[in-house]
Amino acid sequence: MDPYPSSSQIAQKTWELENDIVSVDTPATSSSADAASDAIFYYDDVAQAKFQQEKPWANDPHYFRRVKISALALLKMVVHARSGGTIEVMGLMQGKTDGDAIIVMDAFALPVEGTETRVNAQADAYEYMVDYSQTNKQAGRLENVVGWYHSHPGYGCWLSGIDVSTQMLNQQFQEPFLAVVIDPTRTVSAGKVEIGAFRTYPEGYKPPDDPVSEYQTIPLNKIEDFGVHCKQYYSLDITYFKSSLDSHLLDLLWNKYWVNTLSSSPLLGNGDYVAGQISDLAEKLEQAENQLAHSRFGSLIAPPQRKKEEESQLAKITRDSAKITVEQVHGLMSQVIKDILFNSVRQSSRSRAEPSEPEPEPMVES
Amino acid sequence: MASSSSSGLTFKLHPLVMVNISDHYTRVKSQMNPPGGDSAAVKAPAPPPRVYGCVIGVQRGRTVEIFNSFELLYDSATDSLDRAFLLKKQELYKKVFPNFYVLGWYSTGSDAEESDMHIHKALMDINESPVYVLLNPAINHAQKDLPVTIYESEMHVIDGIPQLIFVNSSYTIETVEAERISVDHVAHLKPSDGGSAATQLAAHLTSIHSAIKMLNSRIRVLHHYLVAMQKGEIPYENSLLRQVSSLLRRLPAIESEKFQDDFLMEYSDTLLITYLAMFTNCSSTMNELVEKFNTAYDRHSRRGGRTAFI
Repeated sequence: MDPYPSSSQIAQKTWELENDIVSVDTPATSSSADAASDAIFYYDDVAQAKFQQEKPWANDPHYFRRVKISALALLKMVVHARSGGTIEVMGLMQGKTDGDAIIVMDAFALPVEGTETRVNAQADAYEYMVDYSQTNKQAGRLENVVGWYHSHPGYGCWLSGIDVSTQMLNQQFQEPFLAVVIDPTRTVSAGKVEIGAFRTYPEGYKPPDDPVSEYQTIPLNKIEDFGVHCKQYYSLDITYFKSSLDSHLLDLLWNKYWVNTLSSSPLLGNGDYVAGQISDLAEKLEQAENQLAHSRFGSLIAPPQRKKEEESQLAKITRDSAKITVEQVHGLMSQVIKDILFNSVRQSSRSRAEPSEPEPEPMVES
Repeated sequence: MASSSSSGLTFKLHPLVMVNISDHYTRVKSQMNPPGGDSAAVKAPAPPPRVYGCVIGVQRGRTVEIFNSFELLYDSATDSLDRAFLLKKQELYKKVFPNFYVLGWYSTGSDAEESDMHIHKALMDINESPVYVLLNPAINHAQKDLPVTIYESEMHVIDGIPQLIFVNSSYTIETVEAERISVDHVAHLKPSDGGSAATQLAAHLTSIHSAIKMLNSRIRVLHHYLVAMQKGEIPYENSLLRQVSSLLRRLPAIESEKFQDDFLMEYSDTLLITYLAMFTNCSSTMNELVEKFNTAYDRHSRRGGRTAFI
């Protein structure tokens, strides 16, 4: 196998630099580097107990700012969320704290059917939780439950009203606690993991500054719920980490994985999600149109703020439509590339006899 | 001990299992060797422990698909498996994943050992033919293959005594889309936020590009091999030639009217969506322009005249 020139590596490094990507794991060149990156796996219960006693978060609602999620936890959560299909699923996360960061080492699923109308679905699963934690401690996983996660299939990563009240309750009695939301449908559609980590403010607390949250499109039937509660919680930065053995395995995994990357077909799997998004956009457009029609006559009297809001409504819709289109175009690009690779070889060209890996059907999602 | 398996079962392994085992191992290892504050005092690191666990999944016909795993308590001094623990764990996992059942067990180490047969036999009352997944945690950057081997047990007659021995089996990595994306995400630590459209495009194309690069390198190896065979440097191997020829005959992969139609339909669907988005974009920009125009002129045009806009 010829070694490929490192120009691609240089390009990758430039890109990483431009995007401020901080590599969380150090290259495992020496055993001390291994030990350093694996040190995060060590559970020091003395330090943890001390931290629990001190409760530095009691004074500062904004105390925790960062979340570090392990590769294992992420994988488990995403797989569990996706396996639920369009049903919300939930589970718990185990880990520990480290200064102003919460570290999530592992996650496990709970056998409850999560619906957005149940206040505390966790109550059903207390027995399960206790059993699971006990067996885990026996098996050598010493961390405590440090948060909960659930999925919002197709409608984005944010906390609904029920979620906010659940989390506020949790933050009163089970501190330190974290809420994580995953959207498996958008993950598959966009090709990157949609995940958000949140903590609520206590009742009546006004955040000192307006937190700048990343924009995401919310379907119309949920947007009210989102709007009412979006000021009651803040999101934390998420970074990921993995052990040296994990990195090694994942690197090697790529040798087998590339087939799946090539044969994946995001367009097929998410057809109805995309259709749903488009119809949702259409509804929003109608709403915006009505508002705009009113404002045209009221523009002489209306204060300038209202005009700005309507404009930004249309701008939001434009952004959403651009996002959907980009995802679709990406999917189509993959299809076209696969078509060129595997369908345009003709038997007649002997000089370019290109044997190829068996590509079962490029259109079928593996 | 390891020859190739003849049971004809195909094994599919999910990456989650591997990450699980690796995490279990790293945890136990770091609890045993707590990170020392100062590097001068080097404690002799204890030999890496062996960890044991169970793998669960589904078996459909001849295909064994391993989805998940959990830890087991095994006391190597007394050679006893903690049964109660195993049953409890099984029960818990059954509640959340009702379709999965115990398929076998895993362990870390570099090679299968005689003592492993004890655990294997112990698990035989849960599953008559358990599989044994062995992960080699030694990080060797030179090796290109996954350090995971799957063993099955077979009854062989050795020296007149029928014995169970481990035989090696091949496996493939199986994944679902969501798993692939998260593995990709963690493996390459991509930025999780949107970034600009350009970075998204770059990221997407980069992943496809690397996959194609792999394909290309594999093809080159094959090509090189075939050329050498043609030149006579390597003796002919008919079975390989047959495989290559059958591969070649499979290209082009699909070539039918129906496929072309469907493909073009999908293509035009995407173009339609792009068109729609463009329209929305244009009307939004138009709207802004009109608003600005109105703001600039309306206030002054009550008398019907246009004032010069400075």
